[in-house]
Amino acid sequence: MARLSKYWLCRSLVLYMALLIIAILMVSPFVWMISTSLKNGPDVFTPIPTLFPINKKTGDIYATLENYRYVLIKKGFAIAFFNSLIVAGIVVPLKLFLDALGGYAFARIPFPGRDKLFLLLLSSMMIPGIALLIPRVYVTKVLGLYDSLWGLIIPMSVSVFDVFLLRQFFLTLPRELEEAAMIDGASRLRIFIQIILPLSRPVLAVVTITSFIWHWNDLIWPLVIINTPSRYTLPLALALLTSGQSHKPHLTMAGAAIATIPILIVFLIFQKRILKGITLTGLKM
Amino acid sequence: MFRGTLKRFCKRYLKVIMGSFGSFRYGESLIGILFVTPVVLYFLIFLLYPALGALYYSFTEWNMRTRPIWVGLWNYKHLLFDRIKYPYFWHSLGVTAKYTGIAMPLSFVTALVLALLINAVKRGQDFFKVAFYLPVITAGAAVATMWRWIYDPLYGLLNIGLKAVGLQPQRWLGEPRMIIPALAIISAWQCGFAMIVFLAGLASIPSRLYEAAEIDGAGAWQKFRYIMLPMLKPTTFFLLVTGLIAAFQVFDIVYVLFRTGGGTIGGPGQAGLTYVLSLFDHAFRYYEMGVACAMSFILFVIILIVTYLQFRFVPQSYE
Repeated sequence: MARLSKYWLCRSLVLYMALLIIAILMVSPFVWMISTSLKNGPDVFTPIPTLFPINKKTGDIYATLENYRYVLIKKGFAIAFFNSLIVAGIVVPLKLFLDALGGYAFARIPFPGRDKLFLLLLSSMMIPGIALLIPRVYVTKVLGLYDSLWGLIIPMSVSVFDVFLLRQFFLTLPRELEEAAMIDGASRLRIFIQIILPLSRPVLAVVTITSFIWHWNDLIWPLVIINTPSRYTLPLALALLTSGQSHKPHLTMAGAAIATIPILIVFLIFQKRILKGITLTGLKM
Repeated sequence: MFRGTLKRFCKRYLKVIMGSFGSFRYGESLIGILFVTPVVLYFLIFLLYPALGALYYSFTEWNMRTRPIWVGLWNYKHLLFDRIKYPYFWHSLGVTAKYTGIAMPLSFVTALVLALLINAVKRGQDFFKVAFYLPVITAGAAVATMWRWIYDPLYGLLNIGLKAVGLQPQRWLGEPRMIIPALAIISAWQCGFAMIVFLAGLASIPSRLYEAAEIDGAGAWQKFRYIMLPMLKPTTFFLLVTGLIAAFQVFDIVYVLFRTGGGTIGGPGQAGLTYVLSLFDHAFRYYEMGVACAMSFILFVIILIVTYLQFRFVPQSYE
């Protein structure tokens, strides 16, 4: 018995060591990013990497936020941050509401041709998003949304996948609740807002968080729609900073940190929901 | 007469909206149609029209400013056969195929190993899951920015690490032959999604299978080989299908990795010119929208064929 428990102790020790080493490797790019972003330009290029910023001349350990200040003000990251926040702040709730409204009707309110229509919608999920890019840009131009923040919001305001996901969830809710509410004279909209939505909080949370992360990170759509620097979103500002200043890692790392940290915070707060949501929806962010 | 109809329609529409707010219930199906109207409008404008439009424009010469000119199969013919006018079409397909062929297996194996390790320990599973998932939620632009610095030939973390263990430092992003491996490493780093799906697959294996195997005297390897691997087939199939579709469309990371101030797009020797990057180049640098639409349609067909082949020939169930 004693030998057996010794075996298990050794086994878990080895396993945890392996996991810990891999975890350090996986997280090291983030640590390296933060570390570099806190250094002054001259102290970045050292033959031996230093975790904490060390002044080359005096040998003192320090940390500076100068790179963040520079990137935020001089490179437009403050405006880009604000733009990203506006876009995500409008598009996420709008999309959630429209998708849930549609999903509810597709699940529960019968009308002629409903299921055929739903199938038609679903078939559009087969087409890779990139294949629709160019005509979409054209539509956005025709609608007069080109080079504006609305151009990042309206063309992204519905997700067929989310409609599908929410419909599948609404189908699992007991019909009796709605019927009882109807007998009491509640309208469909009222049932939807006061009964269906509160009951769907877990799945709505998953959809909200995933679409927030997706929209915050999206690069290609802002890249083709936005021209004016004052309307850049964070990924766009970062892409341009990186391509122009790749020889100044202390600046690009500060930019990357600004784009990454909000998402990391959201992820750390909602990690349980997100990780569960992946297996629930099979959705990558 | 048309205006009258429109007026009546709007009145009715408004009445339904008002009706659905209050307690008075108007016709059920009208309300249903009302509820799906935004989704359907979106579908018509931003999905159906672009899908049909992409096909139509692929037969035209178009710069998005003037009217498209019908050219028939010209775009397809020249993309596929004219190596002088479009030297990068087959090249970019090859790059994408190579990237998919190297990056996907690498990230799947990494994901499976991580999932098995996490599955084997009792405590702290969540901690490791979170740590391994961080790279997935990070923006592609930020990922590329971080790795551009890690891959720095002189001061990058990776080369310093290689030198420290006595290996030859590489010019990761500076040399054509190192570019696909460099991209594959990033995708292995981002394997967290596959890992979570593998973990869910492992969790769904009923424990009685292991118990039965233990009674028969099976060791850890046999349990892995004869229980876990076969039971993970549906999971792997799902990952294969979705992973391939995603790998064919890789854009953000390569765009930011290889874009320089001068505007070169595919990295040294165009070795990082993936298909979508090349498509983007045709569309938004040369304004050859017709050619780019032809490329999008070809991509759609390729994905359709590959997905069909997977469903046809890759085992999906336990058998």
